[in-house]
Amino acid sequence: MSPAANSGEILAVSNLTRIFGGLTAVRDVTMTVQAGEVVGLIGPNGAGKTTLFNMLGGSLPPSSGSIRFAGTDCTGAPSHVMGQRGVSRTFQITSLFPSLTALDNVRSAAFRTTRAGWGAAILRSPAYRREEAELRRKALEILAFCDLDHRADTLADAMSYGEQRRLEIAIALAAEPRLLLLDEPAAGMNPEEGQRLVEMIRRIRARGVTVLLVEHHMRVVASVCDRLVVLDHGVKIAEGPPAKVLNDPEVIRVYLGREPVDA
Amino acid sequence: MNTNSHGHSLGQPLAIAGGIAALAVLPFLAGNAYLEHLLVLWMLYALLALSLNIVIGYLGELTFGHAAFVGVGAYTSAILSTQLGLPPLLGLPLAGLVAAGFGLVIGYAALRVVGPQFAILTLGFGAILFTITNHWVDLTRGPMGITDIPPMAIGPLAFDSARPTYYLVLALVLATAYLCHALVGSRTGRAFLAVRENAPLAASLGINVFHTKLMGFVAATAIAGIGGAIYAHYIRVITPDIMGVHNVAALIIVVIIGGRGTILGPILGALVYIGLLESLRVAGPLRMVIFAALLTGTVVFLPGGLISLWQRWRNAHKSENNLPATPTGLPSTEGGAK
Repeated sequence: MSPAANSGEILAVSNLTRIFGGLTAVRDVTMTVQAGEVVGLIGPNGAGKTTLFNMLGGSLPPSSGSIRFAGTDCTGAPSHVMGQRGVSRTFQITSLFPSLTALDNVRSAAFRTTRAGWGAAILRSPAYRREEAELRRKALEILAFCDLDHRADTLADAMSYGEQRRLEIAIALAAEPRLLLLDEPAAGMNPEEGQRLVEMIRRIRARGVTVLLVEHHMRVVASVCDRLVVLDHGVKIAEGPPAKVLNDPEVIRVYLGREPVDA
Repeated sequence: MNTNSHGHSLGQPLAIAGGIAALAVLPFLAGNAYLEHLLVLWMLYALLALSLNIVIGYLGELTFGHAAFVGVGAYTSAILSTQLGLPPLLGLPLAGLVAAGFGLVIGYAALRVVGPQFAILTLGFGAILFTITNHWVDLTRGPMGITDIPPMAIGPLAFDSARPTYYLVLALVLATAYLCHALVGSRTGRAFLAVRENAPLAASLGINVFHTKLMGFVAATAIAGIGGAIYAHYIRVITPDIMGVHNVAALIIVVIIGGRGTILGPILGALVYIGLLESLRVAGPLRMVIFAALLTGTVVFLPGGLISLWQRWRNAHKSENNLPATPTGLPSTEGGAK
């Protein structure tokens, strides 16, 4: 991997706009994410955060503007192309492979990092056997990373809510992404689970993965993000380190109500 | 060569070997030509059901067009052998290829949509193929069907009766079962399951959902075509009915009653179907009503099919026996509690 992979700009969004009928969900948003950063995307409900995420993940084409990922123009690239290039995402609503075991969830998710296909499996080629053994090892490592190794043989469907949210992250990590988009990972979590999530995001960053997250839990956002981007009505209204952004009077007004924040 | 690296017990290869041995001696136990004929039909349905299972079980899409591809394969090999004198052995792969070609074109058009819309489209394409076969008299002899189809032969070995044909189809069933086993243990097959389970998530992980579905659909139609050709050279007469709605329903019933998404399920389902079809002969047209009831009952009470009964028993058995040794084996049985 070139040195550029661990430094410099990994994502550059410029003048991104998405219009649904008469509604402009995202208007002229320009932002960048540096490799190795954890950036939080915040804003009140309906601010356009998920719309922006969907454009970055390729599931929604932008109306105008451009997206560059790792130096390549990705504007309008479909979801699977973004996935192949190294952008993984989680979804706001729990999204996994329900009737597969946790281990198979992660193995299926490792599509991008594996090569030996059906033909190799039919022939049981040495490359196939090596890759399968390696994949199993890696999948178990990722499950352990997400504190799910004891649940490897459990169907995703049969897991608790907290476990399912961690499995979603395990799925996203299995693709060995360069950029991980987390859509409200702390939703529905209690403070203790939230704290666990914060630690997990820190460890994800330590793996060399850049993280962009949408989150409402200010405690989570403030303690894990290097930088915040604030959207309101589809427009970027503030950007900067959490301490500064969360005390910005404009941000407090549109997003947090009129009271100051003690984050 | 067998390293058993992934924690399979030695019991599994032994059980498979035992099962194959039992299937190999079955014709000798059958004792008469009628039962041997039923064994051939069982294996033929098992082969076709295994191919349909790739679409229904692994890709999670319902297709009503599968019998049409069986028919395309049957007609391809029948026409090639009766009109061009091509040896049936050559017709077999060609039947698979032609059926796959139709599968590619139809899949390319129909897989743009998913779920019920896809199912309806396949029904339409199936009906079109049936109608063409029924009316293109110059090529297919229409409703009169094609008669005097020569039997399959490999060199001096002629498959002109039930017993040798049984072994031929058994070999194809075993080969297809192995293909399916290799599939689900590969990157490709895991992509199939990912697409079935959650297409948007699969796409976000770099899986091209459309291509994945098309690949599975084409593979299924190729095997269906080969199965159709074997059928044509065994029965020696084919009519457009092979593509009819009756056969469509039969194959779906076999897959779902047996257990979709498994390898043994479709084989077991085919046995149940052929067994009931024959033993209920006295019931006449009521048979299809009974099958419909069975299908409904399975979907409601046993969504995993008959094979899931055995899986349940095995899981219960396993957790009893292995509880102290492998506690991680336990949680999967909690699934029902949710």
